[in-house]
Amino acid sequence: MTTVKLYGLLAEYKDPSALIHAVEKLRDAGYKNFETYSPFPIHGMDSAMGIKDSVLGWIVVACGATGLASAIALQTWVSVSAYRVVTSGKLLFSFQAFVPVCFELMVLFAGFGAVFGMFALNGLPKLYHPLFKNHRFRTATSHGFFVTVESSDSRFSLEGTARFLQEIGGLSVEVVEE
Amino acid sequence: MSSSTKVPRLSGFLASTLPKISFLLGGLSLALTAVLWRGNPHHTAFSYLFSFLFFLSITLGSLFFVIIQHLTRAGWSVVLRRIPETFAMNAWVMAVFFLPILFGIHELYHWTHADVVAADPILQGKAGYLNIKFFLVRAVLFLGAWVWMARYFYKKSVKQDSSGDPKLTLSMQAFSAAAILIFAITLTFGIIDWAMSLTPHWYSTMFGVYFFAGSAVAAFAIMSLVALTLRRFGYLKDIIRVEHYHDVAKFLYGLNIFWAYVSFSQYFLIWYANIPEESVWFMQHFNGSWNTVAAALAIGHFFVPFLIFMSKHTRRNLTAHCAMMVWFLVMHCLDIYWLIMPNITPNGIHISMSDISSFVGIGGIYIGFFWLRLRNASLIPVQDPRLPESLRHHT
Repeated sequence: MTTVKLYGLLAEYKDPSALIHAVEKLRDAGYKNFETYSPFPIHGMDSAMGIKDSVLGWIVVACGATGLASAIALQTWVSVSAYRVVTSGKLLFSFQAFVPVCFELMVLFAGFGAVFGMFALNGLPKLYHPLFKNHRFRTATSHGFFVTVESSDSRFSLEGTARFLQEIGGLSVEVVEE
Repeated sequence: MSSSTKVPRLSGFLASTLPKISFLLGGLSLALTAVLWRGNPHHTAFSYLFSFLFFLSITLGSLFFVIIQHLTRAGWSVVLRRIPETFAMNAWVMAVFFLPILFGIHELYHWTHADVVAADPILQGKAGYLNIKFFLVRAVLFLGAWVWMARYFYKKSVKQDSSGDPKLTLSMQAFSAAAILIFAITLTFGIIDWAMSLTPHWYSTMFGVYFFAGSAVAAFAIMSLVALTLRRFGYLKDIIRVEHYHDVAKFLYGLNIFWAYVSFSQYFLIWYANIPEESVWFMQHFNGSWNTVAAALAIGHFFVPFLIFMSKHTRRNLTAHCAMMVWFLVMHCLDIYWLIMPNITPNGIHISMSDISSFVGIGGIYIGFFWLRLRNASLIPVQDPRLPESLRHHT
Protein backbone atom coordinates (compact mmCIF):
# COMPACT_ATOMS: atom_id res chain seq x y z
CA MET A 1 0.00 0.00 0.00
CA THR A 2 1.32 3.39 -0.91
CA THR A 3 1.14 6.16 1.64
CA VAL A 4 -0.42 9.34 0.33
CA LYS A 5 1.56 12.46 1.09
CA LEU A 6 -0.30 15.52 2.28
CA TYR A 7 -0.01 18.66 0.14
CA GLY A 8 -2.03 20.98 2.35
CA LEU A 9 -5.46 22.46 2.91
CA LEU A 10 -7.72 24.21 0.40
CA ALA A 11 -10.32 26.73 1.58
CA GLU A 12 -12.85 28.65 -0.48
CA TYR A 13 -13.97 32.19 0.27
CA LYS A 14 -17.04 34.12 -0.75
CA ASP A 15 -15.60 37.07 -2.66
CA PRO A 16 -12.38 39.05 -3.23
CA SER A 17 -12.72 41.09 -0.03
CA ALA A 18 -13.34 37.96 2.07
CA LEU A 19 -10.25 36.44 0.47
CA ILE A 20 -8.11 39.50 1.24
CA HIS A 21 -9.27 39.64 4.87
CA ALA A 22 -8.66 35.94 5.34
CA VAL A 23 -5.20 36.21 3.85
CA GLU A 24 -4.32 39.16 6.09
CA LYS A 25 -5.23 37.05 9.11
CA LEU A 26 -3.16 34.13 7.82
CA ARG A 27 -0.21 36.47 7.35
CA ASP A 28 -0.66 37.97 10.82
CA ALA A 29 -0.91 34.49 12.34
CA GLY A 30 2.60 33.83 11.04
CA TYR A 31 1.86 31.51 8.09
CA LYS A 32 4.40 31.70 5.28
CA ASN A 33 3.71 28.92 2.74
CA PHE A 34 0.27 29.79 1.49
CA GLU A 35 -1.07 30.78 -1.89
CA THR A 36 -4.23 32.44 -3.22
CA TYR A 37 -6.19 31.72 -6.39
CA SER A 38 -8.76 33.99 -8.00
CA PRO A 39 -10.28 34.38 -11.48
CA PHE A 40 -8.77 37.88 -11.79
CA PRO A 41 -5.95 39.85 -10.13
CA ILE A 42 -7.02 41.49 -6.86
CA HIS A 43 -5.49 44.87 -6.01
CA GLY A 44 -3.72 44.87 -2.67
CA MET A 45 -3.28 41.09 -2.59
CA ASP A 46 0.54 41.33 -2.60
CA SER A 47 0.66 43.40 0.58
CA ALA A 48 -2.15 41.36 2.17
CA MET A 49 -0.11 38.20 1.60
CA GLY A 50 3.05 39.90 2.83
CA ILE A 51 4.87 39.19 -0.44
CA LYS A 52 8.15 41.05 -0.71
CA ASP A 53 9.42 42.70 -3.91
CA SER A 54 10.44 40.11 -6.47
CA VAL A 55 14.13 39.69 -7.15
CA LEU A 56 13.30 39.48 -10.86
CA GLY A 57 14.22 43.14 -11.37
CA TRP A 58 17.75 42.48 -10.17
CA ILE A 59 18.04 39.44 -12.44
CA VAL A 60 16.99 41.60 -15.40
CA VAL A 61 19.47 44.36 -14.50
CA ALA A 62 22.28 41.83 -14.12
CA CYS A 63 21.45 40.20 -17.47
CA GLY A 64 21.16 43.59 -19.18
CA ALA A 65 24.55 44.66 -17.79
CA THR A 66 26.06 41.37 -18.98
CA GLY A 67 24.62 41.92 -22.45
CA LEU A 68 26.01 45.45 -22.56
CA ALA A 69 29.44 44.33 -21.37
CA SER A 70 29.61 41.46 -23.87
CA ALA A 71 28.55 43.77 -26.72
CA ILE A 72 31.31 46.25 -25.86
CA ALA A 73 33.87 43.46 -25.43
CA LEU A 74 32.91 41.67 -28.65
CA GLN A 75 32.92 44.78 -30.83
CA THR A 76 36.11 46.16 -29.33
CA TRP A 77 37.91 42.87 -29.85
CA VAL A 78 36.62 42.48 -33.42
CA SER A 79 37.35 46.00 -34.61
CA VAL A 80 40.46 46.89 -32.63
CA SER A 81 42.31 43.58 -32.52
CA ALA A 82 40.94 40.74 -34.65
CA TYR A 83 39.96 42.56 -37.88
CA ARG A 84 41.70 45.93 -38.05
CA VAL A 85 39.70 47.29 -40.99
CA VAL A 86 39.53 51.05 -41.40
CA THR A 87 36.04 51.95 -42.61
CA SER A 88 35.46 55.35 -44.25
CA GLY A 89 38.39 56.83 -42.38
CA LYS A 90 36.90 56.31 -38.94
CA LEU A 91 38.80 55.24 -35.84
CA LEU A 92 39.08 51.54 -35.14
CA PHE A 93 37.44 52.16 -31.78
CA SER A 94 34.38 54.18 -32.83
CA PHE A 95 31.94 53.96 -29.94
CA GLN A 96 29.21 55.57 -32.06
CA ALA A 97 29.11 52.54 -34.33
CA PHE A 98 28.93 50.21 -31.32
CA VAL A 99 25.83 51.77 -29.80
CA PRO A 100 23.14 49.91 -31.80
CA VAL A 101 24.65 46.50 -31.07
CA CYS A 102 25.17 47.45 -27.41
CA PHE A 103 21.53 48.43 -27.21
CA GLU A 104 20.32 45.27 -28.94
CA LEU A 105 22.39 42.86 -26.87
CA MET A 106 21.45 44.64 -23.65
CA VAL A 107 17.75 44.36 -24.50
CA LEU A 108 18.10 40.74 -25.68
CA PHE A 109 19.90 39.59 -22.55
CA ALA A 110 17.55 41.55 -20.29
CA GLY A 111 14.58 40.02 -22.12
CA PHE A 112 15.94 36.51 -21.67
CA GLY A 113 16.58 37.31 -18.01
CA ALA A 114 13.02 38.52 -17.56
CA VAL A 115 11.31 35.56 -19.25
CA PHE A 116 13.48 32.71 -18.04
CA GLY A 117 14.01 34.33 -14.64
CA MET A 118 10.24 34.51 -14.25
CA PHE A 119 9.96 30.83 -15.26
CA ALA A 120 12.59 29.83 -12.72
CA LEU A 121 11.11 31.88 -9.88
CA ASN A 122 7.64 30.49 -10.57
CA GLY A 123 8.89 26.92 -10.85
CA LEU A 124 7.75 26.63 -14.45
CA PRO A 125 7.30 24.59 -16.53
CA LYS A 126 5.23 22.45 -14.19
CA LEU A 127 3.43 19.43 -15.64
CA TYR A 128 1.51 18.44 -12.53
CA HIS A 129 0.03 20.19 -9.53
CA PRO A 130 -1.91 18.50 -6.70
CA LEU A 131 -4.72 21.03 -6.95
CA PHE A 132 -5.64 19.81 -10.43
CA LYS A 133 -7.25 16.76 -8.84
CA ASN A 134 -9.66 18.86 -6.80
CA HIS A 135 -13.11 19.31 -8.37
CA ARG A 136 -14.11 22.34 -6.38
CA PHE A 137 -10.91 24.11 -7.41
CA ARG A 138 -12.04 24.18 -11.07
CA THR A 139 -14.19 27.24 -10.34
CA ALA A 140 -10.99 29.21 -9.65
CA THR A 141 -11.02 30.27 -13.29
CA SER A 142 -14.60 31.55 -13.21
CA HIS A 143 -15.94 32.55 -9.79
CA GLY A 144 -14.04 30.77 -7.01
CA PHE A 145 -11.70 32.46 -4.53
CA PHE A 146 -9.31 30.04 -2.85
CA VAL A 147 -6.50 29.83 -0.34
CA THR A 148 -4.15 26.88 0.05
CA VAL A 149 -1.94 26.43 3.07
CA GLU A 150 0.88 23.99 2.43
CA SER A 151 1.77 21.29 4.91
CA SER A 152 5.41 22.40 4.67
CA ASP A 153 4.58 25.52 6.67
CA SER A 154 6.08 25.39 10.17
CA ARG A 155 2.78 26.47 11.75
CA PHE A 156 0.75 23.87 9.82
CA SER A 157 -1.30 21.29 11.68
CA LEU A 158 -4.13 19.45 9.98
CA GLU A 159 -6.80 20.15 12.58
CA GLY A 160 -5.58 23.51 13.89
CA THR A 161 -5.10 25.06 10.48
CA ALA A 162 -8.39 23.66 9.18
CA ARG A 163 -10.21 25.23 12.14
CA PHE A 164 -8.39 28.52 11.62
CA LEU A 165 -9.29 28.64 7.91
CA GLN A 166 -12.93 28.17 8.86
CA GLU A 167 -12.80 30.78 11.60
CA ILE A 168 -11.54 33.40 9.15
CA GLY A 169 -14.49 32.86 6.85
CA GLY A 170 -13.70 29.70 4.87
CA LEU A 171 -16.85 28.30 3.23
CA SER A 172 -15.35 24.87 2.81
CA VAL A 173 -12.04 23.40 3.86
CA GLU A 174 -10.65 20.34 2.09
CA VAL A 175 -7.54 18.26 2.34
CA VAL A 176 -5.36 18.18 -0.78
CA GLU A 177 -3.05 15.24 -1.33
CA GLU A 178 0.06 15.10 -3.47
CA MET B 1 -19.04 60.09 -6.68
CA SER B 2 -17.90 63.39 -8.15
CA SER B 3 -20.32 65.47 -6.10
CA SER B 4 -18.81 63.98 -2.95
CA THR B 5 -15.31 64.95 -4.11
CA LYS B 6 -14.59 68.20 -2.30
CA VAL B 7 -11.86 70.16 -4.02
CA PRO B 8 -10.98 73.54 -2.58
CA ARG B 9 -10.24 76.40 -4.95
CA LEU B 10 -6.73 77.76 -5.07
CA SER B 11 -6.33 80.65 -2.63
CA GLY B 12 -3.73 82.43 -0.54
CA PHE B 13 -0.07 82.56 -1.57
CA LEU B 14 -0.31 80.45 -4.75
CA ALA B 15 -3.38 82.31 -6.02
CA SER B 16 -2.34 85.91 -5.46
CA THR B 17 1.15 86.48 -4.05
CA LEU B 18 3.01 84.06 -6.33
CA PRO B 19 1.54 85.45 -9.59
CA LYS B 20 2.31 88.98 -8.37
CA ILE B 21 5.93 88.11 -7.60
CA SER B 22 6.21 86.31 -10.97
CA PHE B 23 4.79 89.23 -12.92
CA LEU B 24 7.02 91.72 -11.09
CA LEU B 25 10.15 89.64 -11.62
CA GLY B 26 9.18 88.89 -15.21
CA GLY B 27 8.35 92.52 -15.99
CA LEU B 28 11.63 93.83 -14.57
CA SER B 29 13.63 91.17 -16.41
CA LEU B 30 11.87 91.90 -19.68
CA ALA B 31 12.64 95.61 -19.21
CA LEU B 32 16.29 94.70 -18.63
CA THR B 33 16.18 92.49 -21.74
CA ALA B 34 14.83 95.43 -23.75
CA VAL B 35 17.73 97.59 -22.56
CA LEU B 36 20.22 94.82 -23.43
CA TRP B 37 18.53 94.41 -26.83
CA ARG B 38 19.23 98.09 -27.61
CA GLY B 39 22.87 97.55 -26.70
CA ASN B 40 23.44 94.26 -28.52
CA PRO B 41 20.39 93.20 -30.55
CA HIS B 42 22.22 90.34 -32.26
CA HIS B 43 23.15 88.48 -29.08
CA THR B 44 19.99 89.36 -27.15
CA ALA B 45 17.77 88.08 -29.98
CA PHE B 46 19.36 84.64 -29.65
CA SER B 47 19.03 84.67 -25.86
CA TYR B 48 15.41 85.58 -26.32
CA LEU B 49 14.81 82.83 -28.89
CA PHE B 50 16.30 80.26 -26.50
CA SER B 51 13.99 81.36 -23.67
CA PHE B 52 11.01 81.50 -26.01
CA LEU B 53 11.59 77.95 -27.23
CA PHE B 54 12.03 76.63 -23.68
CA PHE B 55 8.64 77.90 -22.54
CA LEU B 56 7.05 77.04 -25.87
CA SER B 57 8.22 73.46 -25.40
CA ILE B 58 6.49 73.26 -22.01
CA THR B 59 3.29 74.60 -23.57
CA LEU B 60 3.40 72.12 -26.46
CA GLY B 61 4.38 69.18 -24.27
CA SER B 62 1.39 69.96 -22.04
CA LEU B 63 -0.91 70.17 -25.04
CA PHE B 64 0.42 66.78 -26.12
CA PHE B 65 -0.39 65.33 -22.70
CA VAL B 66 -3.99 66.55 -22.86
CA ILE B 67 -4.51 65.27 -26.41
CA ILE B 68 -2.97 61.87 -25.77
CA GLN B 69 -5.10 61.30 -22.65
CA HIS B 70 -8.29 61.90 -24.63
CA LEU B 71 -7.01 59.92 -27.58
CA THR B 72 -6.38 56.86 -25.42
CA ARG B 73 -9.45 57.41 -23.18
CA ALA B 74 -7.09 57.36 -20.23
CA GLY B 75 -8.68 57.21 -16.81
CA TRP B 76 -5.66 57.29 -14.51
CA SER B 77 -4.64 60.83 -15.41
CA VAL B 78 -7.92 62.70 -14.89
CA VAL B 79 -6.86 64.19 -11.54
CA LEU B 80 -3.71 65.60 -13.18
CA ARG B 81 -5.25 66.88 -16.40
CA ARG B 82 -6.16 70.39 -15.26
CA ILE B 83 -2.48 71.26 -14.82
CA PRO B 84 -1.37 70.58 -18.44
CA GLU B 85 -4.67 72.00 -19.70
CA THR B 86 -3.76 75.24 -17.96
CA PHE B 87 -0.18 75.17 -19.25
CA ALA B 88 -1.42 74.60 -22.80
CA MET B 89 -3.67 77.66 -22.42
CA ASN B 90 -0.47 79.70 -22.15
CA ALA B 91 -0.19 79.24 -25.93
CA TRP B 92 -1.59 82.74 -26.33
CA VAL B 93 1.17 84.07 -24.01
CA MET B 94 3.71 82.42 -26.30
CA ALA B 95 1.93 83.94 -29.34
CA VAL B 96 2.45 87.41 -27.82
CA PHE B 97 6.04 86.57 -26.91
CA PHE B 98 6.61 85.62 -30.55
CA LEU B 99 6.35 89.29 -31.62
CA PRO B 100 9.90 90.27 -30.50
CA ILE B 101 11.23 87.43 -32.69
CA LEU B 102 9.68 89.23 -35.66
CA PHE B 103 11.50 92.42 -34.61
CA GLY B 104 14.72 90.45 -34.40
CA ILE B 105 14.11 88.40 -37.55
CA HIS B 106 17.10 89.92 -39.36
CA GLU B 107 19.32 89.37 -36.33
CA LEU B 108 18.37 85.70 -36.08
CA TYR B 109 17.81 84.34 -39.57
CA HIS B 110 20.34 85.28 -42.19
CA TRP B 111 18.16 83.90 -44.98
CA THR B 112 16.03 87.03 -44.45
CA HIS B 113 18.78 89.21 -45.91
CA ALA B 114 18.30 89.76 -49.64
CA ASP B 115 22.03 90.25 -50.28
CA VAL B 116 22.90 86.95 -48.52
CA VAL B 117 20.32 85.07 -50.60
CA ALA B 118 21.49 86.73 -53.79
CA ALA B 119 25.00 85.36 -53.22
CA ASP B 120 23.86 81.90 -52.16
CA PRO B 121 22.44 79.46 -54.73
CA ILE B 122 21.24 77.04 -52.03
CA LEU B 123 19.20 79.72 -50.29
CA GLN B 124 17.83 80.83 -53.66
CA GLY B 125 16.59 77.31 -54.17
CA LYS B 126 14.87 77.38 -50.76
CA ALA B 127 13.49 80.89 -51.17
CA GLY B 128 10.09 79.56 -52.17
CA TYR B 129 9.69 78.30 -48.62
CA LEU B 130 12.16 80.40 -46.63
CA ASN B 131 10.88 83.91 -47.25
CA ILE B 132 9.62 86.39 -44.71
CA LYS B 133 6.05 86.55 -45.98
CA PHE B 134 5.48 82.77 -45.91
CA PHE B 135 7.37 82.57 -42.58
CA LEU B 136 4.83 84.98 -41.09
CA VAL B 137 1.85 83.13 -42.54
CA ARG B 138 3.16 79.87 -41.09
CA ALA B 139 3.82 81.42 -37.68
CA VAL B 140 0.24 82.69 -37.54
CA LEU B 141 -1.04 79.25 -38.56
CA PHE B 142 1.05 77.36 -36.00
CA LEU B 143 0.48 79.67 -33.04
CA GLY B 144 -3.19 79.99 -34.01
CA ALA B 145 -3.60 76.22 -34.14
CA TRP B 146 -2.07 75.80 -30.67
CA VAL B 147 -4.20 78.55 -29.12
CA TRP B 148 -7.28 77.06 -30.78
CA MET B 149 -6.62 73.48 -29.67
CA ALA B 150 -5.68 74.51 -26.11
CA ARG B 151 -8.86 76.57 -25.80
CA TYR B 152 -10.96 73.74 -27.22
CA PHE B 153 -9.83 71.30 -24.54
CA TYR B 154 -9.70 73.78 -21.68
CA LYS B 155 -13.12 75.35 -22.31
CA LYS B 156 -14.90 72.01 -22.67
CA SER B 157 -13.18 70.57 -19.64
CA VAL B 158 -14.08 73.56 -17.46
CA LYS B 159 -17.62 73.59 -18.83
CA GLN B 160 -17.97 69.98 -17.70
CA ASP B 161 -17.02 71.03 -14.15
CA SER B 162 -20.42 72.71 -13.84
CA SER B 163 -22.60 70.83 -16.35
CA GLY B 164 -21.27 67.31 -15.81
CA ASP B 165 -22.26 66.50 -19.39
CA PRO B 166 -20.46 63.30 -20.49
CA LYS B 167 -20.99 64.33 -24.15
CA LEU B 168 -18.20 66.88 -23.65
CA THR B 169 -15.80 64.02 -23.00
CA LEU B 170 -16.95 62.33 -26.20
CA SER B 171 -16.47 65.46 -28.27
CA MET B 172 -12.97 66.03 -26.82
CA GLN B 173 -12.20 62.40 -27.60
CA ALA B 174 -13.38 62.80 -31.19
CA PHE B 175 -11.37 65.99 -31.67
CA SER B 176 -8.22 64.50 -30.15
CA ALA B 177 -7.62 62.32 -33.24
CA ALA B 178 -7.49 65.34 -35.51
CA ALA B 179 -5.68 67.34 -32.84
CA ILE B 180 -2.75 64.93 -32.56
CA LEU B 181 -2.23 65.13 -36.32
CA ILE B 182 -2.41 68.94 -36.34
CA PHE B 183 -0.11 68.99 -33.31
CA ALA B 184 2.54 66.80 -34.96
CA ILE B 185 2.57 68.81 -38.18
CA THR B 186 2.56 72.27 -36.58
CA LEU B 187 5.23 71.38 -34.01
CA THR B 188 7.52 69.87 -36.64
CA PHE B 189 7.27 72.74 -39.08
CA GLY B 190 7.30 75.32 -36.29
CA ILE B 191 10.63 74.14 -34.94
CA ILE B 192 12.02 73.83 -38.49
CA ASP B 193 11.15 77.50 -39.01
CA TRP B 194 12.36 78.87 -35.70
CA ALA B 195 15.36 76.74 -34.81
CA MET B 196 16.49 74.69 -37.82
CA SER B 197 16.41 77.63 -40.22
CA LEU B 198 19.08 79.32 -38.08
CA THR B 199 21.42 77.13 -40.18
CA PRO B 200 19.39 77.19 -43.40
CA HIS B 201 21.71 74.99 -45.45
CA TRP B 202 21.37 72.15 -42.99
CA TYR B 203 18.40 69.85 -42.60
CA SER B 204 17.44 66.87 -40.48
CA THR B 205 14.22 64.89 -40.68
CA MET B 206 14.64 64.03 -36.97
CA PHE B 207 14.59 67.62 -35.84
CA GLY B 208 10.88 67.94 -35.08
CA VAL B 209 10.73 64.62 -33.25
CA TYR B 210 13.82 65.60 -31.26
CA PHE B 211 12.22 68.84 -30.10
CA PHE B 212 8.96 67.03 -29.38
CA ALA B 213 10.61 64.39 -27.19
CA GLY B 214 12.38 67.02 -25.09
CA SER B 215 9.17 69.06 -24.85
CA ALA B 216 7.18 66.11 -23.57
CA VAL B 217 9.82 65.32 -20.93
CA ALA B 218 9.82 68.95 -19.75
CA ALA B 219 6.03 69.18 -19.66
CA PHE B 220 5.69 65.97 -17.63
CA ALA B 221 8.35 67.19 -15.21
CA ILE B 222 6.72 70.57 -14.65
CA MET B 223 3.28 68.95 -14.28
CA SER B 224 4.64 66.78 -11.49
CA LEU B 225 6.35 69.77 -9.87
CA VAL B 226 3.14 71.82 -9.90
CA ALA B 227 1.26 68.90 -8.35
CA LEU B 228 3.94 68.60 -5.67
CA THR B 229 3.75 72.34 -5.02
CA LEU B 230 -0.01 72.07 -4.58
CA ARG B 231 0.59 69.16 -2.24
CA ARG B 232 3.09 71.18 -0.21
CA PHE B 233 0.40 73.85 0.23
CA GLY B 234 -2.13 71.24 1.31
CA TYR B 235 -4.14 70.83 -1.91
CA LEU B 236 -5.24 67.51 -3.45
CA LYS B 237 -3.26 65.48 -0.93
CA ASP B 238 -5.52 62.44 -1.11
CA ILE B 239 -6.44 63.01 -4.74
CA ILE B 240 -3.10 63.12 -6.55
CA ARG B 241 -1.45 60.21 -4.80
CA VAL B 242 1.85 58.36 -5.04
CA GLU B 243 0.21 56.06 -7.60
CA HIS B 244 -0.25 59.00 -9.99
CA TYR B 245 3.28 60.31 -9.44
CA HIS B 246 4.57 56.81 -10.10
CA ASP B 247 2.74 56.63 -13.43
CA VAL B 248 3.88 60.12 -14.47
CA ALA B 249 7.45 59.05 -13.70
CA LYS B 250 7.09 55.85 -15.74
CA PHE B 251 5.66 57.75 -18.70
CA LEU B 252 8.40 60.35 -18.44
CA TYR B 253 11.05 57.65 -18.17
CA GLY B 254 9.89 56.16 -21.45
CA LEU B 255 9.79 59.56 -23.13
CA ASN B 256 13.29 60.34 -21.90
CA ILE B 257 14.61 57.12 -23.44
CA PHE B 258 12.77 58.16 -26.60
CA TRP B 259 14.56 61.53 -26.46
CA ALA B 260 17.91 59.75 -26.17
CA TYR B 261 17.01 57.38 -28.99
CA VAL B 262 15.96 60.18 -31.32
CA SER B 263 18.85 62.52 -30.55
CA PHE B 264 21.38 59.71 -30.91
CA SER B 265 19.80 58.54 -34.18
CA GLN B 266 20.02 62.07 -35.58
CA TYR B 267 23.69 62.23 -34.69
CA PHE B 268 24.52 58.64 -35.60
CA LEU B 269 23.33 58.74 -39.22
CA ILE B 270 25.07 62.03 -39.88
CA TRP B 271 28.25 60.81 -38.19
CA TYR B 272 28.25 57.61 -40.28
CA ALA B 273 27.62 59.25 -43.64
CA ASN B 274 30.04 62.07 -42.83
CA ILE B 275 28.81 64.27 -45.66
CA PRO B 276 29.97 67.89 -45.23
CA GLU B 277 26.59 69.58 -45.71
CA GLU B 278 25.10 67.36 -43.00
CA SER B 279 27.95 67.16 -40.51
CA VAL B 280 28.41 70.96 -40.51
CA TRP B 281 25.69 71.32 -37.88
CA PHE B 282 27.41 68.94 -35.47
CA MET B 283 30.77 70.55 -36.17
CA GLN B 284 29.20 73.80 -35.00
CA HIS B 285 27.57 72.19 -31.95
CA PHE B 286 30.69 70.25 -30.93
CA ASN B 287 33.04 73.22 -31.18
CA GLY B 288 35.03 74.17 -28.07
CA SER B 289 33.19 73.73 -24.79
CA TRP B 290 29.93 72.97 -26.67
CA ASN B 291 31.41 69.49 -26.98
CA THR B 292 31.39 69.25 -23.18
CA VAL B 293 27.79 70.44 -23.14
CA ALA B 294 26.81 67.74 -25.64
CA ALA B 295 28.53 65.09 -23.49
CA ALA B 296 26.84 66.51 -20.39
CA LEU B 297 23.48 66.13 -22.15
CA ALA B 298 24.15 62.51 -23.08
CA ILE B 299 25.16 61.72 -19.51
CA GLY B 300 22.86 64.06 -17.59
CA HIS B 301 19.74 63.99 -19.75
CA PHE B 302 19.90 60.26 -20.44
CA PHE B 303 22.33 58.03 -18.52
CA VAL B 304 21.95 59.44 -15.01
CA PRO B 305 18.12 59.48 -14.99
CA PHE B 306 18.11 56.13 -16.82
CA LEU B 307 19.89 54.52 -13.88
CA ILE B 308 18.40 56.53 -11.01
CA PHE B 309 14.80 56.51 -12.20
CA MET B 310 14.86 52.81 -13.12
CA SER B 311 13.90 51.85 -9.59
CA LYS B 312 10.27 52.17 -8.56
CA HIS B 313 11.45 53.26 -5.14
CA THR B 314 12.93 56.48 -6.57
CA ARG B 315 9.80 57.10 -8.60
CA ARG B 316 7.53 56.62 -5.61
CA ASN B 317 9.66 58.50 -3.07
CA LEU B 318 8.29 62.02 -3.51
CA THR B 319 11.51 63.75 -2.40
CA ALA B 320 13.61 61.81 -4.91
CA HIS B 321 10.85 62.17 -7.49
CA CYS B 322 10.81 65.95 -7.01
CA ALA B 323 14.61 66.20 -7.29
CA MET B 324 14.56 64.17 -10.53
CA MET B 325 11.85 66.37 -12.03
CA VAL B 326 13.89 69.51 -11.30
CA TRP B 327 16.89 67.74 -12.85
CA PHE B 328 14.91 66.93 -16.02
CA LEU B 329 13.86 70.57 -16.39
CA VAL B 330 17.45 71.79 -15.97
CA MET B 331 18.63 69.25 -18.55
CA HIS B 332 15.91 70.24 -20.99
CA CYS B 333 16.89 73.87 -20.53
CA LEU B 334 20.51 72.96 -21.32
CA ASP B 335 19.31 71.00 -24.35
CA ILE B 336 17.49 74.00 -25.82
CA TYR B 337 20.46 76.22 -24.95
CA TRP B 338 22.78 73.86 -26.83
CA LEU B 339 20.36 73.84 -29.75
CA ILE B 340 20.30 77.62 -30.18
CA MET B 341 23.30 79.31 -28.66
CA PRO B 342 26.25 77.85 -30.68
CA ASN B 343 24.94 80.16 -33.40
CA ILE B 344 25.94 83.22 -31.40
CA THR B 345 28.86 82.03 -29.23
CA PRO B 346 30.48 79.57 -31.67
CA ASN B 347 33.61 78.94 -29.61
CA GLY B 348 31.93 77.56 -26.53
CA ILE B 349 29.26 78.03 -23.92
CA HIS B 350 29.14 81.54 -22.55
CA ILE B 351 26.17 82.42 -20.37
CA SER B 352 25.38 86.10 -20.68
CA MET B 353 23.17 88.56 -18.82
CA SER B 354 20.63 88.58 -21.65
CA ASP B 355 20.22 84.78 -21.41
CA ILE B 356 19.22 85.09 -17.79
CA SER B 357 17.10 88.23 -18.17
CA SER B 358 15.11 86.90 -21.12
CA PHE B 359 14.63 83.51 -19.42
CA VAL B 360 13.40 85.03 -16.16
CA GLY B 361 11.41 87.60 -18.13
CA ILE B 362 9.42 85.18 -20.27
CA GLY B 363 9.34 82.64 -17.42
CA GLY B 364 7.98 85.12 -14.86
CA ILE B 365 5.10 86.24 -17.06
CA TYR B 366 4.47 82.64 -18.16
CA ILE B 367 4.34 81.23 -14.63
CA GLY B 368 2.28 84.20 -13.43
CA PHE B 369 -0.41 83.58 -16.03
CA PHE B 370 -0.34 79.87 -15.26
CA TRP B 371 -1.19 80.31 -11.57
CA LEU B 372 -3.74 83.02 -12.34
CA ARG B 373 -5.59 80.68 -14.65
CA LEU B 374 -5.27 77.73 -12.30
CA ARG B 375 -7.05 79.89 -9.71
CA ASN B 376 -10.00 80.48 -12.04
CA ALA B 377 -11.21 76.90 -12.26
CA SER B 378 -11.39 73.80 -10.10
CA LEU B 379 -8.00 72.13 -9.57
CA ILE B 380 -9.27 68.88 -11.05
CA PRO B 381 -12.04 68.11 -13.59
CA VAL B 382 -14.60 67.42 -10.84
CA GLN B 383 -17.35 66.06 -13.11
CA ASP B 384 -15.27 64.05 -15.53
CA PRO B 385 -16.93 60.64 -16.04
CA ARG B 386 -13.56 58.93 -15.56
CA LEU B 387 -12.73 60.76 -12.33
CA PRO B 388 -13.76 57.84 -10.09
CA GLU B 389 -11.36 55.60 -12.00
CA SER B 390 -8.58 58.10 -11.49
CA LEU B 391 -9.37 58.51 -7.78
CA ARG B 392 -9.12 54.76 -7.27
CA HIS B 393 -6.12 54.41 -9.54
CA HIS B 394 -3.61 51.81 -8.44
CA THR B 395 -0.49 50.96 -10.40
